[in-house]
Amino acid sequence: MPAQPPLPPLLAPYVSALPQSSLTLLSSVLGATGNWLILRYLYSALGAPVGDAAFGLHGSEGGRKRKVVLVSFLRGWEFWRSEAKRLGLDLARLTDKRQFAFVDGLSELFYTPTPSSQTTTTTSTSGPAPSRTVLPVRSQPGPLPARGVPQPAPARPTPTNPHQQVQQQSRGPGPVKRLHLSGTGVQALDALENDISSVIKQLKTPVTPGEEEPEILLIVDQPDLLLAATGPAKGIGATEMGEWIMGLQQNVHATVLALSADSPLIHNAAESAHQPSTPLEMESAAFAIGSAHRAQMVLQLRNLETGAARDVSGVLRVSKGGAWGQVDAGAEDKWEEREVLYFVQRDGGVCVFGRGE
Amino acid sequence: MAPTSLSHRQTHNLLLISKLLGHRDTASPLTLLIDSLEQPATPLIKEYIRRAKISKVHVTLIAFETLKPLDGVDSFIYARRKNPSEIAKEVATAQQKTPTRRLILIDSINPLLRAQRANAHFHLPTFLSSFLIPSSPSAPKSDTSLVVNFHNDVPNPPAQSPYQPSPLSTLSFLATTVITLHSFSHILAQKAARDRSLAAPVFGLAEEQDGVLLGRLDKPIGNESTQGIVLEMEHRRRSGRGVLEWYILPPASSYPPNQLKEIVTLLDDHPLYRPPVDSGAQEGEEEPQSTFELGLTDRQRKDREGVVLPYFDAQQGDGPGEGGRILYDMGEEDDFDEEEDEI
Repeated sequence: MPAQPPLPPLLAPYVSALPQSSLTLLSSVLGATGNWLILRYLYSALGAPVGDAAFGLHGSEGGRKRKVVLVSFLRGWEFWRSEAKRLGLDLARLTDKRQFAFVDGLSELFYTPTPSSQTTTTTSTSGPAPSRTVLPVRSQPGPLPARGVPQPAPARPTPTNPHQQVQQQSRGPGPVKRLHLSGTGVQALDALENDISSVIKQLKTPVTPGEEEPEILLIVDQPDLLLAATGPAKGIGATEMGEWIMGLQQNVHATVLALSADSPLIHNAAESAHQPSTPLEMESAAFAIGSAHRAQMVLQLRNLETGAARDVSGVLRVSKGGAWGQVDAGAEDKWEEREVLYFVQRDGGVCVFGRGE
Repeated sequence: MAPTSLSHRQTHNLLLISKLLGHRDTASPLTLLIDSLEQPATPLIKEYIRRAKISKVHVTLIAFETLKPLDGVDSFIYARRKNPSEIAKEVATAQQKTPTRRLILIDSINPLLRAQRANAHFHLPTFLSSFLIPSSPSAPKSDTSLVVNFHNDVPNPPAQSPYQPSPLSTLSFLATTVITLHSFSHILAQKAARDRSLAAPVFGLAEEQDGVLLGRLDKPIGNESTQGIVLEMEHRRRSGRGVLEWYILPPASSYPPNQLKEIVTLLDDHPLYRPPVDSGAQEGEEEPQSTFELGLTDRQRKDREGVVLPYFDAQQGDGPGEGGRILYDMGEEDDFDEEEDEI
């Protein structure tokens, strides 16, 4: 298979130039994960080399400056950093340059911190760090194994040099923010929303006075974990999650929402199912389908119907969501629905091609 | 169907749909739109707004899902995290100084039905009628229509009590008009399967395929002409009689935004759904093209009608046929074949 550029040409029109205040839904299944696609969004917004207009990227020139906030509920900072590195994106450097911010919804979501370390942006540790600040970093689950995409062993620092880790955490104005869930219902979600919007606001404030306000792309990776872990018993249902996303959307230029669409999460709640469904099944289905109704574009990843293949990782179907055509966005809305195959190579590169090509 | 009754139905039902979409004469106070991911209601809602703009109706959009106001909406009420009573109050204030003709659109009722906050005292009929019934008897009589969109594929919330009807049944009991939306290309595919006595195909979520949320694809289905949405309308008249009809709404790009003429047509009149069979049947009756003259002249036809067939002969009982026996006079060109006679 011939090598393709980091952003395959077939994919470029769907990944770049997201319309104003739009929602893009990215659904994936266990056998076909969406990490590579999220990385392509990152690349399209952050990594476009200046002057490369071949992909129709007008992020770095002509248009306004683009910045990205990535909120991840299933994967930690180390995973995204090492994966992005393979695409040539240095997320740590971009964080320093205040073009990128990572919000960690995984490491300490259910870890109740002592009140003093609410945001864990501990900058005070100068010497070899006490175990208190380092421990969560080391114990973070990191990339989950066996999620389809071949993942390299993440380049995590060995436990012998916690000092370096702390420095990395505390460096720059945009450190890794950790989310904490406390309380129930809307209040808990509001707290998370405040945390994320404060990161967005930090990124928005111009570095030099007089600078144009940048376009912020918000990527929320797998917030269905939040729904699955709380559920209606804690006062969080599909409506509350949907409204939470809407609240986040108000602060940013465009939003990409990655959700799981595995059969049990979607179809068990359907009326044709023969068993009564559990609250979790119902709420996930309602959240995923409701989000598809609100999205302009829906990118669906799934396995090949004919079974596993050596040179195909899965199928990507791009469809128009329920909100498509709501606002006459002009040229930005001119894209076609299509279905393509993709192949994630061992080096992290991705080939996207049509059937039979 | 006889051509007269078809044309009568055409005029009558087209008049009805333009009355419904244009909100003339309070044709339908509560319209329920039932959509799905396969055919979202967005084009129809835009069509409602377009017609309301032409006839200068005040449009309010209660947005449970929409982030940005749509073009042509006069008051946009952002319903995120709001109680039903707060929403009703906001709508009332937004409409205080408006003309008497109003249209209230709810972009999706599902989030409200599922919301945890509203469960305890929420009563759907009260909420909906609060928009339609004037707050005080002294208030000037206004002409309000409510259009509620319901996503049919979002799972229903668990019922509070086993005797409670589902939200969809409540809504369809309340509604004076129910419009179910279908994608035209799907209707065509299902009709093609039905015509060949095959099981109708299903699309999107109904496929129950892992990872498939939406099945609709523009491209394989192809050309411009299959665009458009099919509206399955059920209108309940005041007399209690129901009217059922299928319409097709062409895509918004196919007509200018200020077009006054009715653009909705009956589905049965669409050339792709019902190919013009009449002309095809007439062609069948015509003689096949050949070099032989297969027709009859008048004289030949008269002669043919004059032939007395053997069974008529047999009925008389006393004719030369003697009970239907076939009498045949050998001509000189006939070649008598004994073997054939033995069989």
